[in-house]
Amino acid sequence: MTLPVFVIGVSHKTAPVDVRERFSASDEVVAVLLARLGERPELAEAMFVGTCNRVEIIALAAKDARVDDAVGAVQRVLADHVGAGHVREIAGWLYELRGDEATRHIFRVAASLDSMVLGEPQVLGQVKNAYDAAVAAGTLRGHLRRCVHHAFTVAKRVRSETQLGAGLVSISSVAVDLAKRIFGDLRDCTVLLVGAGEMAEQAARSLGKGAKAIRVCNRSFDRAASLAQLFAATAAPLEQLESELAMSDVIIASTASRSFVITRELVKRAMKQRKNKALFLIDIAVPRNIEPEVHQLDNVYVYNVDDLEREVADNMKARIAEVEAAEAIVTSELAQWAGWARGLNVNPTIVALRGRMRRVLDSELERSLSGRLKHLAPSDRDALAQMLDSATNKLLHSATVKLKQASLADDADDLVRAVHHLFDLAPDDNSATRLSSDLAQPSSGKLPASAPEPVALAAPVEAQADEYVSH
Amino acid sequence: MSGVIADWMFVVTACGYAAAALLFLQFLVQGKRSGAVVGAHVAAVATLLHAAHILLVALGSGQCPVRGVHVSMSLASMLMCAAYVLARKRLRVEVAGAFVAPLAFVSLLASRFVGRGYEPGDHVKSLVLPVHIAFNLLGVALFALAFSTASLYLVQEKLVKTKRVDGVSRRLPSLDALDRAEYRFLLAGFPLLTLGVATGTLWARRVELGASSDVLRAALGYVTWFVIAAVLFMRSAAGWRGRRAAYGTIAGFVCAVAVLTMYLARSHGGADAHPEPAHGRVVRFRAPQVACSVKT
Repeated sequence: MTLPVFVIGVSHKTAPVDVRERFSASDEVVAVLLARLGERPELAEAMFVGTCNRVEIIALAAKDARVDDAVGAVQRVLADHVGAGHVREIAGWLYELRGDEATRHIFRVAASLDSMVLGEPQVLGQVKNAYDAAVAAGTLRGHLRRCVHHAFTVAKRVRSETQLGAGLVSISSVAVDLAKRIFGDLRDCTVLLVGAGEMAEQAARSLGKGAKAIRVCNRSFDRAASLAQLFAATAAPLEQLESELAMSDVIIASTASRSFVITRELVKRAMKQRKNKALFLIDIAVPRNIEPEVHQLDNVYVYNVDDLEREVADNMKARIAEVEAAEAIVTSELAQWAGWARGLNVNPTIVALRGRMRRVLDSELERSLSGRLKHLAPSDRDALAQMLDSATNKLLHSATVKLKQASLADDADDLVRAVHHLFDLAPDDNSATRLSSDLAQPSSGKLPASAPEPVALAAPVEAQADEYVSH
Repeated sequence: MSGVIADWMFVVTACGYAAAALLFLQFLVQGKRSGAVVGAHVAAVATLLHAAHILLVALGSGQCPVRGVHVSMSLASMLMCAAYVLARKRLRVEVAGAFVAPLAFVSLLASRFVGRGYEPGDHVKSLVLPVHIAFNLLGVALFALAFSTASLYLVQEKLVKTKRVDGVSRRLPSLDALDRAEYRFLLAGFPLLTLGVATGTLWARRVELGASSDVLRAALGYVTWFVIAAVLFMRSAAGWRGRRAAYGTIAGFVCAVAVLTMYLARSHGGADAHPEPAHGRVVRFRAPQVACSVKT
């Protein structure tokens, strides 16, 4: 049995940018959404991922909830978020993945294999931000958290073991390529960055080499100035946007604004000032920063993230070998993860069985040490304890291996029941199960407000079981 | 003997232009960069052969190359190719060969089979005439290049505007390069056209515009000058760029071609097409005396 993980969202494959931007959310809205998800009893864990290419919710159904109900709950949250009266209104744009397919998807997203621009490093950063937000909101604290953590490992492997990120065709380099269709080269072009975030910084790195000049225009002048300082650029406040447009040739907009920053009227006025000299605007923000009607103006060309898809498709073809290698890593990691996840079914039983046996043995040992063997020196007592450890391991080895094998074959239920029956394992003995259950079903029936430290998640018990099984 | 050599040279030149056109076509369709490079070189060699052919014909006939419509037309296409060969790298419009080579090929063939029968009569011979024709031929050659780059601009602009930027768009020059080249060709051709019109006006005072087609041709010639002047004026004064300017350039070239076609149509009719005036000292001339015609 696999974990009831599922993913619901919109991406560049299912919805155009004007639809995706309705789903996008600012940090404040993400916090509200996570709080709503946390209130749903059908959900054990959840996180909200927003990148240029996608907006999705990754969730884990609560232990006793039906996955369909959990999916419905997430869909309703999304529908409310975009102001849709009913889930039906947005269902056409949504994709939904469950179980191993969902896990594979999470790994692929983190490794930037599902991005419009393959190997794009920003995606991992955006997933990490989403992870941090969910952890902070207390909606990511159990197995899903571990799953996302594993996705980071997958991304790291893909980055270090393949050339997917090498010679990367980033949004910025695609922008440069497109700018060449209009201007030939950028030697005589002034590049204006509207927004001073991470994307703007990356664009500046790509474009800075070839452009005549770089200008940075941002709502916060201080931020614009500090970015400008990095690239020997000129900073300007957003109030001067019109004059900045008039003196620039390539504009890259990447602000977090929820409304259009560059409007048709603004560009029209700027075009008069620049005597209709061609203007190339690239909107890499979601929601978009540039009014789509700007593209209708003469000698003005507006491209948004979706428009870069064809360019990126060429890039994908050229690096198909790297993509295949990266996909192989994802598949191998998925198998490893699936093994671990399936092991979750038997690990509590193994741990409980081992605990039961040790308690019996410890009790007997304690009785002997306080009676007939009380003359033993401390070193002898330690030797006896080690002997009991070893005996426990050897006695349980065969049973553990068989339980693990049955778990991998998805056929461990009968064995688990038999072990519980034969050794009379009470629920109280099953500490791992209890911990998992706590995570899945908090006493209030809702996600707890505060989250424990990441590594603390059921680690001692599961680690013991894993360590023991590895023997 | 020189006639045979000239004929062979004509055939080889035509084949050269055709081959260059095919190579450019291959580049545009398949994206093989070598097609454009080899095509440009083949066009350059064909241009040299073309020039040699014109020289040989002129020497063989003992007549100035600008005399007679067929040689004039051939000379115009050769000048167009020469201008392309000289400017292609500097203006980064190598792919314009995709327009220039077929245009030269068609013009070369047309020069052989169209307007063969017309030769200006001795009564209108003047030093002004070859100067007038030469200016106009050079002007038309440059306008043909402006037309080629303007057409390529519209193609590239359409592709970029509709966001179909793979394939052909990748092989075409940038919009900026095409717009700049178009402007420069137009700017270079306009003074020549102006001089052609001026010399034509001077020379036309000797003759009388009799037939209505002569008047129409003259009017269209002035319209050509006006259209191109307007495009240049609007570019500098009103900031016309890109698509509008390209349409204006194409309109100007279409006017020039219309004048040329009218002239060729009449020339093709031969001397018999227009009866000599029955009276009067002033000759009602059927030939390229129309001052405003781009190519007399």
